[in-house]
Amino acid sequence: MNNQVIIEIRNLQKFYGQKHVLQGINLNITSGQIIGYIGPNGAGKSTTVKILCGLISNFQGEISIYGKDLRKETLDIKKRVGYIPENAALYESLTPYEFMEFVGEMRGLGTEQTRDKAEKLMNIFEMKPHLNQRIATFSKGMRQKVLICSALLHNPDLIFMDEPLSGLDANSVIMVKEMLIHLAHDGKTIFYSSHLMDVVEKISDRIILIDQGKVIADGSFSELNEFSTDENLEKMFTRLTGNTDHGQKAEAFINAFEKYLL
Amino acid sequence: MINMILKMFGPFRWFIEKMGADYNQFIRILKLKLTLDDRKAGKFSKKQENTQEKTLIKQSFFQIFMGLFLAMFLIMVKTPFTFFFIAHIFLMTMMAMMIISEFSTILFDTSENMIIQPLPIKGNTVSLARNAHVFVYLAMMAFCLSVITIIIAIYKFGNLAGLIFVFTIFLNVLFTLFFTNILYLGIMRLVSGERLKNLLMYFQIVIAIFFMAAYQIGIRMIDKTAIQDMVLPVHWFTYLLPPAFFAGLIDAITSLNFDQSHLLFMAEALIIPPVAIYLTGKYLTPVFNRKLMDLEQGDRVSKVKIETKRNSLYYRIMCSLFVHTTEEKAAFKMMWKMTGRERQFKQTLLPSFGYIIIMMIVPLVGKHSIISDYTTGYKYLMILYVFMMVSFALCSSLLMGNCQPSVWVFKTVPVASPASFFKGAINAAFARFFVPFYLVMGAGVCAVWGIKVLPDVVIAFLAIYLITLLLYYFQQPGFPFSLEKTAVQGGANAAKVFGLMALSGLIGLLHFLMLKWFSFANLLLIPVYGAAIYYVNRIMVYRKITWKEVDRVNNFS
Repeated sequence: MNNQVIIEIRNLQKFYGQKHVLQGINLNITSGQIIGYIGPNGAGKSTTVKILCGLISNFQGEISIYGKDLRKETLDIKKRVGYIPENAALYESLTPYEFMEFVGEMRGLGTEQTRDKAEKLMNIFEMKPHLNQRIATFSKGMRQKVLICSALLHNPDLIFMDEPLSGLDANSVIMVKEMLIHLAHDGKTIFYSSHLMDVVEKISDRIILIDQGKVIADGSFSELNEFSTDENLEKMFTRLTGNTDHGQKAEAFINAFEKYLL
Repeated sequence: MINMILKMFGPFRWFIEKMGADYNQFIRILKLKLTLDDRKAGKFSKKQENTQEKTLIKQSFFQIFMGLFLAMFLIMVKTPFTFFFIAHIFLMTMMAMMIISEFSTILFDTSENMIIQPLPIKGNTVSLARNAHVFVYLAMMAFCLSVITIIIAIYKFGNLAGLIFVFTIFLNVLFTLFFTNILYLGIMRLVSGERLKNLLMYFQIVIAIFFMAAYQIGIRMIDKTAIQDMVLPVHWFTYLLPPAFFAGLIDAITSLNFDQSHLLFMAEALIIPPVAIYLTGKYLTPVFNRKLMDLEQGDRVSKVKIETKRNSLYYRIMCSLFVHTTEEKAAFKMMWKMTGRERQFKQTLLPSFGYIIIMMIVPLVGKHSIISDYTTGYKYLMILYVFMMVSFALCSSLLMGNCQPSVWVFKTVPVASPASFFKGAINAAFARFFVPFYLVMGAGVCAVWGIKVLPDVVIAFLAIYLITLLLYYFQQPGFPFSLEKTAVQGGANAAKVFGLMALSGLIGLLHFLMLKWFSFANLLLIPVYGAAIYYVNRIMVYRKITWKEVDRVNNFS
């Protein structure tokens, strides 16, 4: 199972109107890995994830997942994929159980099986008492937990996560990080898109850095750091994306409002 | 355009400040709201640019077209008082509907509070800006609805009459807006939190029905022995009817008739709307603001509702009758729950049930009505086909909502055709809301006209079900509760609705002709409609609603 290429991306391009968001991404992803997919705002991270999940079908280039063409065999691919979106957008008038029941049934799970799995997963996040409460009453973190549970409901082989830790409390963050490592050990592949450098650095087997729609770095943290002395991923990210003048920018910001106050 | 609208408030600066608002801040907030509106419709649409402008133009044409129907009727009316009375009743009803169905969400919109509340702005300024925002749109709508009436008024009664009519349109808008405001405040004083939200929804439904009833009764007050000469008899209570104030004002000035009765109407028209605005702006808006904050906190402070109800026997029967595949059943189940809980959906749909009851009852309360006249012949067909109104309301209200960000879930599950979601949605809404109501009313019709009309009740049911399916499947394929109202009421959709309205009229006529043809000829319609429903629900929907079509309307990126 390990080292088998499960995602092949060839010359992936995406335009939003005139804007060239993805400018020819080429990647091979092997199974059982946690892939940290990082980049500055607007680099094209979420767009890549949405294309790979089948949310955006209008793209250029070739993508095959588990040897199947994403354009032609979307359904077969979707059966093996779980997706946690960036924004915790859920139907607020439903309860987590009702939402997961819908997702489970659409994925071919029976009602009892869905209920059983939903209860178990929600229990891990200490959310079982909230299974029958309307999502409208939930905080952002609670909604995020519902999304994580519903993405894992059908035991997917490949999980796409777009900022999955957004809004989670410290305990839940630790728990999710541990969970991801265990899932990868079990042979699951995790495509983890995030801004949180420390988390990506700690859990990722491989880090892919994109900027302005292009891959600018690809490898494990130690591989990427072989020829430099960056002490952590954040420093490396700053160097590779060419934003090294943070100190000057902060000073200019302070000056701008000090001048106003005086 | 926005700057032009804002400049119109200039002459009323002193009045706005008198009500306790900061004029500059008022204008800034109003400008922000109008700018946001201007860019809103394209927010989730793939056609980002110019969508709102085009939608507004389409809506304006639609409203002018609606006004045409009234104008065609008004052209026959000779007396100015009756003419303008009818015109104002029509306007008031349309505006009240608009406030209730659409602008109440603006009146109760607290989303901007996060931005505005931390800033040093007085509550009165925010409330006045909120009301001014609604006023701008209502005035535009009222003007579009009245364009043709204004032309006819000028032709029939002269330029002055047309000019004063335009002036009274604005007075009417103010009066309707603040009358609704006062009613809302009254209800908001009674309860708070989550209960308030629910109560407001039902209150809005009752008000919508009330205005419809008032419209029907108002029209019937007119003595129409001959349409051309119809006159409005002035009783003591006529002085309490706002449309009469405005009609009286126009009549007085154009005919230079300043008798006691006309002077009273003039005084009412010129004094009541400004005083109502002043009182509401000065004294009632602070209460409104406080209550709005309660409303915002409603979800958090209200007791959390636990949804543990098991699916009822009725649900299980309907589910097995209306949907078949696993995907359809899952969508049916989800939408059954959501339609029962989404406030905007119920708020838009439920008044149509009230209208049906009013349209059935009102003919019975006129002075010439005799119950035996009503219950003879084929009048029951009219009652049955009036239910078609629910179809129109059902299909459009199922589209409207703010759930666009949540539709990603449909695209990530492995489902070959999105048609199953749409089929599940419309059937759930139809089974949950239409079927029980029709069963009760159908039983009532059978009780009055006899069991012999039962086949007709069944035929009308099948016809309405068929039209509902066609109407929904031919709408733009937006996922349930995901489109803004302006997008739902767009020109192409409106044209389709008109086409299907004509078709439903023909279906009713066909039913009538079959009854007239020979005994039991109507029964031939049952297999015809049955086959059509089978085709539409099992075959056509899967051909019509494809992922390609869905991707065109819904934005997943």
